[in-house]
Amino acid sequence: MKDIARQSMSIKVESMDLLNGQIKMEAHASATYLAMASWCEQNGFFTSAKFFFKQAEEEREHMMKIFNFLVDTGGNPISPEVTGINHDYSSIVDVFESTLEHEVKVTKSIHNIVKKARELGDFATERFLDWFVMEQIEEENTVRDILDMIEVTGTEGVGLQMIDNKVLDWID
Amino acid sequence: MNVIFQSTYYTLYQAANERCFYIDFGQKTVRMSLCQLLALRHKLMSINIEDHFDSDLNAHGFEVLMLCNKEHLFVLNTLEILDLQRLVYNSFVSLGLAVGAMETVTS
Ligand SMILES: [Fe+2]
Ligand SMILES: [Fe+2]
Repeated sequence: MKDIARQSMSIKVESMDLLNGQIKMEAHASATYLAMASWCEQNGFFTSAKFFFKQAEEEREHMMKIFNFLVDTGGNPISPEVTGINHDYSSIVDVFESTLEHEVKVTKSIHNIVKKARELGDFATERFLDWFVMEQIEEENTVRDILDMIEVTGTEGVGLQMIDNKVLDWID
Repeated sequence: MNVIFQSTYYTLYQAANERCFYIDFGQKTVRMSLCQLLALRHKLMSINIEDHFDSDLNAHGFEVLMLCNKEHLFVLNTLEILDLQRLVYNSFVSLGLAVGAMETVTS
């Protein structure tokens, strides 16, 4: 019997489902960072706003990377619905703490897909995610460094403005 | 044509010479590419079957299903939806594209 199915699609549908979930998560991250950029603009943290505009773009690129992988492997990529974006933050520290929390969540999700792909014997998906595993180390590290800088600088007096200026170091 | 999977109400065939699949729905047979089969799978996965048991959420227990880019329209009841889910999920296992099969729900 000719294997039309395998000839049309080169990953497992379970991996495809998880990757569609990840597409949604990256889209959600992009929209969240856009909300943070908006908050920063409105509260006078203009450098941080730039940082989050750039992060929002990067998250969209992550989303498109997965979307195109599903196209290339003959899967069914689903354009994500994004809802429930938080726009309320109590401080700039809260913004960056939420960012780290969000990145850790993304890392866990990617590790979970790698684990499942391995169980499924889906080597293509597993190898594809290598890049994301390394990228998440970068992303987490960036935000952790910013939080360390905030800790050292302190939020008293001109601290907040100094924090915002220093965020420039993490925009390349 | 080879039978890939047969559920209580439906049968999925592979037509190797045409590089496509057919689902026999009883009243009619629908020709589908693998992409269209994936799209059907996605629609079936999006159905919240619990809503069928809540008269506020789904008053009559029917689903309207449009297939193959709105070429076909089906109105299916709860049992038919569950059976179609079983057909599609298990077909992907038979085709070697999925690992986890769905337990028998309707029979
Ligand atoms: Fe990302
Ligand atoms: Fe990220």
